[in-house]
Amino acid sequence: MPLDTSTYSLALLRLDGRRWNELRRLHAQISTQAAADGSSYLEMGNTKVLCTVSGPHEGKAGGAGGGPRSTQAKIEVEISFAGFSGVERKKRQAKDKRTSEMSHTLTQSLAALLLTHLYPHSTITIHLSILSQDGSLLAACINAATLALIDAGIPMTDYLCACTTAAPPTSAETEAGGDPLLDLNGQEEQELPFLTVATVGKGHAVSVLIMESRVRMEKVEGMLAVGVEGCKRVREILDKVVKEHGKRFA
Amino acid sequence: MPISILPPSPQEVPSHTDRYVSDSDEEMADAGDNDFTSSNSHSIVTPGETITSDPQWMRGHGTYIPPNSTTIISTLAGTLQKTNKLLSVTPLRARYAPEIGDLVVGRIVNVQAKKWMVDIGAAQLASLPLSAINLPGGILRRRTAVDELNIRTFFSEGDLLVAEVQMLHQDGGASLHTRSLKYGKLRNGLFTSLAGAGGGGAKRNGSGGVVRSRRQAFTLQTTAGEIDIVLGVNGYIFVSKHTITAGDEKDASITRLEESVSETLYSSENDVVPKDLMREIVRVGTLIRGLVLCSRSVDEEMVVRCYEVAVEMEAEENVMGDVLVGQGAKSIVENILLRIESGV
Amino acid sequence: MPREAEISVNEREFIQQALRENTRLDGRAFDTFRPLELTFGDEYGVADVKLGKTRVIARISVEVTAPLPERKFDGVFQIVTEFSPMASPAFEVGRPTDAEVILARILEKAIRRSNALDTESLCIIAGLKVFHLRADVHIIDHDGGLIDASCIAVMAALQHFRRPDVIVEGEKATVLSVREREPIPLSILHTPLCVTFSYYEEGEIFLVDANLAEEQVRQGEIIITMNRHGEVCQIAKYGGATVDALSLLNCNNVALEKVKDMSKFIQERLEADAKRRDAGGLMAELSAENDR
Repeated sequence: MPLDTSTYSLALLRLDGRRWNELRRLHAQISTQAAADGSSYLEMGNTKVLCTVSGPHEGKAGGAGGGPRSTQAKIEVEISFAGFSGVERKKRQAKDKRTSEMSHTLTQSLAALLLTHLYPHSTITIHLSILSQDGSLLAACINAATLALIDAGIPMTDYLCACTTAAPPTSAETEAGGDPLLDLNGQEEQELPFLTVATVGKGHAVSVLIMESRVRMEKVEGMLAVGVEGCKRVREILDKVVKEHGKRFA
Repeated sequence: MPISILPPSPQEVPSHTDRYVSDSDEEMADAGDNDFTSSNSHSIVTPGETITSDPQWMRGHGTYIPPNSTTIISTLAGTLQKTNKLLSVTPLRARYAPEIGDLVVGRIVNVQAKKWMVDIGAAQLASLPLSAINLPGGILRRRTAVDELNIRTFFSEGDLLVAEVQMLHQDGGASLHTRSLKYGKLRNGLFTSLAGAGGGGAKRNGSGGVVRSRRQAFTLQTTAGEIDIVLGVNGYIFVSKHTITAGDEKDASITRLEESVSETLYSSENDVVPKDLMREIVRVGTLIRGLVLCSRSVDEEMVVRCYEVAVEMEAEENVMGDVLVGQGAKSIVENILLRIESGV
Repeated sequence: MPREAEISVNEREFIQQALRENTRLDGRAFDTFRPLELTFGDEYGVADVKLGKTRVIARISVEVTAPLPERKFDGVFQIVTEFSPMASPAFEVGRPTDAEVILARILEKAIRRSNALDTESLCIIAGLKVFHLRADVHIIDHDGGLIDASCIAVMAALQHFRRPDVIVEGEKATVLSVREREPIPLSILHTPLCVTFSYYEEGEIFLVDANLAEEQVRQGEIIITMNRHGEVCQIAKYGGATVDALSLLNCNNVALEKVKDMSKFIQERLEADAKRRDAGGLMAELSAENDR
C-alpha cells in the first residue's frame, strides 16, 4: 500500500479532509466552445474534462456502410489525454485498451440514453479531452458528455450521472469497516477497491457499473447504495448548471 | 438504508450557493396540473423533468412518454411551448431542423450522378436533384443526358448556393430546389456561419439567430453601392455585391429574362468588386455576427437599422477623432443597440 | 469490413416473445449454462473448453526473460486473445473489434488484476531473470458466451500448467528439463470465473450464458467475475438499457452459485486428468526400465 490510511479510523476524515459521504467540488460550464454544436467543461475536484459534441451530422462512411443500423444515429466517442494531465508527463499511445474500453462504455450507455431513432443516417461525435486526472475519470467523462449533449440539443430520456465509491478501509479494531467512501480522488483510487456507477434519472436505474478491483461480495451492496445516492446529488448539481445557463436566455 | 450525500463543502462558486433548483422542484409538485406549464417563461425545463401527468395533453417534439404511463417528460433543455393541447419543448440551441419553404444557404459537399449533396447545417446532407434547378439555355426545358454528364458545370464541390426546402423525407432529410431566379449559385461576396444559432427555434428563446420571416433576401443601399444580403434560416449568411435579378425588372417577360441571366447563372468567376464595396460587405457581415453574439434576432429591419447607426457612428468618430467603442463585433453591436434603444 | 449477420426482425420478435413466456430457444432454464465440456491436451497447459457450440482453446507457454524495471520481483504474465476468422466471418485478423478489446480487458481485469496468479513465484533472480508466462486464447467457434468460456479456459489451463524447475547458484540459473526434474505447478491464489448476464425487457428478464442469437437481441449485458469464496473480482456493465440496482445485487448471488458449480467442475476435470497422467507416467517408467 503506497499510502497510510491508518488515521482514517480515528477522525473519520479522509486525506483531503472530506467525510465519507462528501462529494468534491463539482464545477461545470456549458457552451464553452463556440465551434462545436455542444460543449461542456467539468471539474470534479482536480479531475478536469472538456467535452465537445458535433452532430448529428452525416456520417463519413455514408449510406452504404450504414447497414440496418442506419435507422438510428451512430455515436462515436473519442477520448484524448493531454500530455500534462497525469502526474508524469508522458506520451500515451493513440489507442490503448483502457481508453477504448472507456469510449466503448460511453458509446454503449449513451446509445441507450439518447433518442437516436430521431436521427437516422447521422453520426453524433463526442470528443473528450482530459486536461487533468485525479480520480473518478470515467465518472467525470460521463457527466461532461451528458452536459455537452444537452447543450447540443440532442434529445435524451434523462440525465446520465456518474460517481465513484470505494469500500471502506478496514482497520485493525473494526474488521467490518465503516461507511463506503464517495467520490474518490486519485490517491484513494490507488489504494481502495472502488466502483464507478452511473444512473439515469432520479431513481435506481443503473446504466453503467464498472468495478476493477477485488472486494468481498457483501460490500458491493453498500458501495452501490452510496453510489446511487451520490449520482442523485450529481444530477441535482448538473441540473442547476443547465438551469443557470438557461436563465441567460430568459 | 437511509443515506444522505453531503454536497461538496467549500462553496467557492457563488452560483452554486442558491438553492433554487430544489425550490422550483417543489413548486412544480405543489402547483399540480392546473398551472404546471410554468407560466413564467423565465424558467426552462431540463431532460427528465416531468411536464405533466395529465393524460389530456399530447406530446410534441422534445418530449417522451415512458412505456406504461401517461406522464409527459422533457428530453431537452429548453422552453415549453403549448399549442392547443400539444406540448413541445424547444431546445435552447440545436442543429437546424429543415421545414418546407425555408430559404437556406448551403454548400455543395459532393456530386452524384443526378443530384448534389448540400450541407445546410442539418442532421443530414440535403439533396438537390438535377431536376430541381434552372437549366441554362433560355426556355424552360426538360433535362437531358447531356446535362447529367455536365453536372459539374452547374455546381461543383465547395460551391455556395441559396435554395428553398422543397420536400422533407420520411427520415428527416430534405430536398432543395432552386427553381426561381432568386435562387442559385452565390458569388461576389462573403459567407458567414452563425454556428449553433441556426434554426427558427432559436429565436423564440431569445438566443439570437435568423428568424423565419417574410423577406430573407434583400438589398441594402450603402454609400458604396447596393449589396445583397441572404439570411439563410439555417444560420448561414451570404452578403454580396448586388446583381440584377428578376425582381428588379418586372416589366420584362420571364423567358427573356432567363436568356439574359443564363450566361452568368452558373459562373464561378467573381466580378470586379470595388474596394469600398468590399468594406461595406465585411461591415454588414460583422454586424450580423455581432447581433447573434448579443442574442438578438436577425431580420431585415434589424440589419438595416444597425447598418445605418454603424455608418453614423463611424462618421462621428472620424469627426471627433477618437474611438468610442471597444474591439470586436460584440462590443460594437452592443453600442449600436444602446443607441437604437435610447432613440438617438 | 464484414459484419455479423444482423438478426431479422421476426427472429428478434420470436426470441423476445418466447422469453416473455419463460422459454428459451434451446429449452434451458434462465439461469443454466449450456453443457460445459473441458478437456486437456497431451501437453501441460492446454485447455479446450466447449460451451454449447462455443469453443475456446487456451494454451500456456513460458520462457525466461528479464523483468520489467519497475517490478523487479514479479514475473511477467500476459494474456493474448485472438479472434480468428475461422470462428465467425465478422472477425478479422489485425483489426480488433470492440468485442475483442472488451474480452481482452475483462480477462486482464478478472485474472491479472485480481492477482489470480502469484507472479512473485515466477521470479528466478530478482531484477535479472523471471519467467514470462503467456496465455494464448484462441476462439475456435463463436456461439455467444465468449467471455465466460475464455475465462474458464484460461483458469483451467493455468491450473493444469506445470512450469520447469530451476536451480539457482548465485547469479547463474539453470532451467531443468522435464526429464531431469518433475515440473512444478503454478501458484494460483484463487480462481476467478466470469458469468455474463444478458437482460431483456428493461431489466425484467435475466439470462445466464446467452447464445449468439440471444446476445444479438439483448438490451445489455453485465459481466460479473467472482471466485468461489464470494469475492467479486470485477463487475462490468457497459451502458445499455438501465437495470434496477437491486437486480444487480441479485445477479451477484446467482453468479456466486454458478461460479461454485464451475469451480467444482474444473477441479473434477483436473483430478481426472491427473489420474490419467499418473497411470501413463508409471507406464513410461516401466517401459524405460525395460529398454535398459
